[in-house]
Amino acid sequence: MIEFEYSELTPSERALQAEVREFLDRVLPPGSYHPALGFQAEKDPEFSRKLGAQGYLGMSLPKQYGGHERSAVDRFVVTEELLRRGAPVGHHWVADRQSGPVIAKFGTEAQKQRFIPGIAAGELSFCIGMSEPDSGSDLASVATKATRDGDGWVLEGRKIWTTFAHLNDWAIVLCRSTPVAELTDKRQGMSQFIVDLTSPGLTATPIPFIDGTSDFCEVELDHVFVPDELVLGSIGQGWAQNTSELAYERGGPDRWLSSYTLLAELLRLHEQQPLPDRIADVLGEALANYWVLHSLSLSVARSIDSGGAPAVESSLVKEMGTRFEQDVVTAVNAVVDEAPNMADTSTFSRLLISATLTNPSFTIRGGTNEVLRSVAAKGLQPSGGKR
Amino acid sequence: MSAFAADELVAETVDRLLLDLCSPDVVEHAEAEGWVPDLWHAFSESGFPWVSLPDTAGGSGGTLGDAAAILHAIGRYAAPVPVAETGMLAGWLLAGAGLAIPGGPATVAVGLSLEGARLVGDATVAWAARSERIVALVQDGATWKVASVPASAVSITRGANLAGEPRDLVRFEVASGAFDLAAAADGVDADALLQRGALSRVVMSAGALRAMTQITVDYTNERKQFGKTIAGFQAVQQFLVNTAQCSVRVNMAAERATRALAAGEPGITIAAAKVLTDAAVAEGTRAAHQAHGAMGVTREYPLHQLSRRLWAWRHEYGTASMWRRRLGTAAHRAGAEGLFQLVTG
Repeated sequence: MIEFEYSELTPSERALQAEVREFLDRVLPPGSYHPALGFQAEKDPEFSRKLGAQGYLGMSLPKQYGGHERSAVDRFVVTEELLRRGAPVGHHWVADRQSGPVIAKFGTEAQKQRFIPGIAAGELSFCIGMSEPDSGSDLASVATKATRDGDGWVLEGRKIWTTFAHLNDWAIVLCRSTPVAELTDKRQGMSQFIVDLTSPGLTATPIPFIDGTSDFCEVELDHVFVPDELVLGSIGQGWAQNTSELAYERGGPDRWLSSYTLLAELLRLHEQQPLPDRIADVLGEALANYWVLHSLSLSVARSIDSGGAPAVESSLVKEMGTRFEQDVVTAVNAVVDEAPNMADTSTFSRLLISATLTNPSFTIRGGTNEVLRSVAAKGLQPSGGKR
Repeated sequence: MSAFAADELVAETVDRLLLDLCSPDVVEHAEAEGWVPDLWHAFSESGFPWVSLPDTAGGSGGTLGDAAAILHAIGRYAAPVPVAETGMLAGWLLAGAGLAIPGGPATVAVGLSLEGARLVGDATVAWAARSERIVALVQDGATWKVASVPASAVSITRGANLAGEPRDLVRFEVASGAFDLAAAADGVDADALLQRGALSRVVMSAGALRAMTQITVDYTNERKQFGKTIAGFQAVQQFLVNTAQCSVRVNMAAERATRALAAGEPGITIAAAKVLTDAAVAEGTRAAHQAHGAMGVTREYPLHQLSRRLWAWRHEYGTASMWRRRLGTAAHRAGAEGLFQLVTG
């Protein structure tokens, strides 16, 4: 059965929380930046470097490469504070959340020395190279081909929904290295490569997003050479490695805080006046859900720190957390009398427009909710009559 | 099973007791009477109804977490026993006021008042007809007092909630001298009682939702259609996952709120938990019933014992809309910058 063990922050974790709050109040005071919707945030390399210098990036990575060997809960505390303020985390987000940890887990000594220090410093940026035009939820069907060539591999194919591919440094790309025809299981014969986004033959083209932004890209790999030293982990183990990478994408506060800044701004609009009942109801309903999602997400992080593998639990949290993020957008829209106007650049209006236009993506990115439900259902097994 | 920082032995013992004495058949047969004498007797023998009340006041000792673990088990087994009323509510009022805790069931009445020295009012009271004493919190000028009334001193009309649990209509016209009256403990007021009552319903609902998830998973793994167990269908898995999510949210909320109250700092926790429970009851019962098909709406299969209780309990100790409004007001007080502190506590 699925278990979420109750957990509270320890005194030292509370101290970290206070320290992060103090730091962010100082370097990111309200009014000094445009709050984002969770991790759908702009790139601010300078801000990322400040976080790195403060020790807030690469927190779980080994010290010998510039990481901090802190716990998943410590990282949870920092991430919550960043996201609830809508901090500009776009530059380091993917590198810190998943690329760094998978390189630390599967990378060679040379790869760790080469990449982890820059990730922990907030300097190196990474992209996720999983989805393809014809391969979404069914990732085992990826068609991007890796072919042996001298002391390296040649990649041919297309990746899609690759955020900031036109600006970032690296991507971890999932490829098929053995043709499906030679295999009994199509989950075999896959491999991951660390690809330099400035490689000859690689073209990143922005795809206009529904809100008019163009951070999303399609990446064409036309005979892109990747030397052996940039193979990640083992050739043929790409599926297992990729699955473990996905675990970093699920269950964290990024899966329930995406519309928090919108709600907080709604509250700010009513701060100096009597609170209308209908606004109180929206705030109350959302607060109850944030309150419990915080505890569930903390429980997942604690489980990781105790050596657990809460894949089922994190899928369960992501599935309901992302639906809740959408519910907040719906609820806020329901109490806004004036139709959003694109010319209105106030923080609230900007967030409302962006959230309204982009919230359908909340339940798609990082694994659609339909796939997550299948993962979570695996944890729901008969009890033998026990209650 | 629940954690609740409870004494493991208490949790295990109550689970075993209910497994033995509180089968779905027993619950079903109890409904006409609203009572299972063997069950109350077994609970009473083991002291479970008075857990969390100090030994010195005639309680069984233990923590609020232990009491919550017992209530959670009552929720899981749909057990018809007035444990929340006897201990966590009436017993708590009596112990705080230095009044005697009766050896049998006790319950609470809300909304009564003192008219001179008489206790008057009408109230719907859980298990009134089965209780030795009915306990009320009444205002006497600027102070709160606890009134302990023998059930024989009031007029009781039998009633029941949606689950067949006794919810009797009681008319109080009790002369002074026919009931005991003492000052309530410091900090005990109508709101404190409301919060405790709400927490008791949240914890029992957490147990019922946990059991509902389990029997739904069990049923869909047995029931076959189109040649395979229906749990294998994605459309059905969606209902299983929804039911589990509802259970998980309310169980986490129940535990966090219990700990907060035990630490003397309930803050927004009980309000948040009650709001979450209301939504989870709607979503969870809908998903569980849908996964069961027609079998779930018969009296022959025990799903209804859980869903009817969940539907009944949500009306008690404040509706979700009342608690939601309160939470919104708390958010407004905290302001945009202080809001997240309410989330993390």
